Amino acid sequence: MSFLYDVRSVYGRHLTKLVRNPTLLGTNLLTPILFLVLFSQLLQKLNIFPGVSGSYLAYLTPGIVVMCSFIGGSLSGVSIVNDLNSGFLSKMLLTQVNRAAILAGRLLTDVTVVVVQSAITLAVAVLMGVDIVTGVPGAVLIVATAALLDLALCGLFLYVGMKSRKTETISAIGNAVFFPLIFVSSAMFPSSFFPSWAQTISKYNPISYAANVTRDLVQGGLTWNTLAPAVAVIGLIAIVTISATLFEFRRVIS
Amino acid sequence: MISVEDLVEVYSDGTKAVDGISFRVKEGEFFGFLGPNGAGKSTTIKVLTTLLRKTSGRVSVAGFDLDKSPSEIRKAIGVLSQETILDVDLTGRENLRLQGRLQQMHGRALDEKVNDLLKMVQLEDVADKSAGRYSGGMRKRLDLASALVHNPRLLFLDEPTTGLDTQSRAAIWEYLESLNKEDGLTIFLTTQYLEEADRLCRQLSIIDKGKIIANGTPTELKEAVGGETISLSLSNGGAAVRSKAVEILKSVAGVTNVVESDGGIVVYAKNAGEVIVDVVTALDRSGIRPGYLNMATPTLDDIFLKETGRRIRGEELGRKTTEPFIM
Repeated sequence: MSFLYDVRSVYGRHLTKLVRNPTLLGTNLLTPILFLVLFSQLLQKLNIFPGVSGSYLAYLTPGIVVMCSFIGGSLSGVSIVNDLNSGFLSKMLLTQVNRAAILAGRLLTDVTVVVVQSAITLAVAVLMGVDIVTGVPGAVLIVATAALLDLALCGLFLYVGMKSRKTETISAIGNAVFFPLIFVSSAMFPSSFFPSWAQTISKYNPISYAANVTRDLVQGGLTWNTLAPAVAVIGLIAIVTISATLFEFRRVIS
Repeated sequence: MISVEDLVEVYSDGTKAVDGISFRVKEGEFFGFLGPNGAGKSTTIKVLTTLLRKTSGRVSVAGFDLDKSPSEIRKAIGVLSQETILDVDLTGRENLRLQGRLQQMHGRALDEKVNDLLKMVQLEDVADKSAGRYSGGMRKRLDLASALVHNPRLLFLDEPTTGLDTQSRAAIWEYLESLNKEDGLTIFLTTQYLEEADRLCRQLSIIDKGKIIANGTPTELKEAVGGETISLSLSNGGAAVRSKAVEILKSVAGVTNVVESDGGIVVYAKNAGEVIVDVVTALDRSGIRPGYLNMATPTLDDIFLKETGRRIRGEELGRKTTEPFIM
C-alpha cells in the first residue's frame, strides 16, 4: 500500500502547486478552447473538402482534444527539470519514497489536467453544435485516448528533461518538433490534402493514431482498426519513455 | 557511526575531488569537516549520503555498508544540503508534511512531529504561509526541520550557515547544539567558517584539496600550532625583505615557528607577550620595521595556515583590529 500512499503524496503536491498557480492553470484550460473557437471560425470553409464531412468544427474537435495531451506533456517536462535543478528531486530520492511513485504522481497530475481540459473542450464543442455520435460512452473514450497520448508525450518530455536539465530544451523540442507534428498529422487537417511526403509522416505519426480514434468516436463510430493500432503504438511509446525516465533516476542518486 | 577508509572520488572530467581520506565518527559525536571552497567537503557529504557514487574506498554509515545497503542508510540519516531545498509553492507546514509522508509517516504521529518541528525552528506563526515568502534564514530553518522529520540517528549538514545573516546563523547553531547534547543526535557538519567549527564541533578534520591535513579536537589542534601567535606586516620591502625577516625571527629565543602568509608573517611562540619585544627589536636591528602587529591565541585558521601556508579565507594581516583571526 505504500506505493499508493506515495503516489497520493506526490500527486497532492503537484496538484496543490497547480491550483496555486492560477495563470498556469488558466492558460492551460483556456488554450484548447481558444484554439477550438478560433480555428473552427477561421477555417470553417474547409467543410467543402472531402474527408472533413460536414462541419470543420466537428472535424477539428478531436484534433484539439489531442492537442491537450501535448500541453500536459510539456508541463511534466518543465516540472521535472525544475525539481532536478532545485535539488528537490534529490531530496525526494533521499527519502524512503518509492521511486516509481514519484513518476506516477507526476503523470497522474498531468492526466488529471488533460482529462479536465479535454472534457471542457468536448463540452464547448457540444455547446457549439457538435454532435458526438457515440454519446457519453464515446466522450469518455475520447478523454481516455487523450490521457493515453498524454502519458506517451509526458514520458518523452520527462526523459528529455532528465537528459537535458534545461526548460529551454523542453520548449525548443516542443515548439520545433512536437508542435509541427500536430499539424503534420490528421489532427487539424485531412492528410489527403498534404503533399505525399507529409502524408507519409502523417500516416505513421502517433498523433494521427490518436486523432483517428477520437475522430471516429465523434463523427463515425468506434472501429477496432483504428483503436487497436492506436493503443498499441501510443501505449508502447508510453511504456518505453516512462521506463527510460525511471532508469534516469539512477543517475541522480547512487 | 561513520567509518571512511581511503575514500577517493574522481569526477568524469578527471578532477580528483577527494583524494584518499579516512576518518571515523563515533555515535553522539559532533564532527566537523573544515576547509575552504573546493576542498572536497560537499563531495564527501554527497558520497556519504548516497547521492554520489564513490570511485573507491570503504564506507559505512550508521552501521550499513554504502555499497550494499544504500536504502538502509537513507532511512537512518537526515540531510541538509548546502542549497536550501524547499517547495516554495507550498506552505511551511505543507513542506514538512510532504517530507514526512515521503518518509512513510502517517496520521497523528506525523501531525505531532510537524508541530514539534515548527515550534523548534520557531516558524509556528508563519507555518501556513507560502515558503516562497520566507526570508533566507526562515527557509534554512524549515529545511533543517524537514531533515529531522523522520527522527534520523545521524544528521549531515553541508555548510548549513553559508550565506546566512549573523542572527540566523546563531539560531541554527543553537538548534544543532541542542539536538546533539539533548537528543544525542550524531552530527556531521562541513563548514568553511572557523568560528562555526570551533564553537560546535568536538572532533574536527581539516580538509584541503581533497586530503585531510589535520585531525583532533579544536583545542588539540590549536595547541599543536605551537602556542600563541604574533601576526605582523612589514611596512617596507618586498619578498626578499620578508624572507630575511623570517630568518631573523626564527632565531629569536622563545619563537617556535614562523610562517609567511598573505604578504605578512605569523610568528608562533609559547608566550607571545614575552617575546614580542624581542621580535620587534630583532627586526629593528636589521632595519626592518613592522607596519602592523597583532597578538592572538591561535585559531583554527592558524592550523590551516601552518599546514598549507594559506589562510582559509583571504584574511588580510593589515586589518586594523585586535580581534583574533576568526571569521
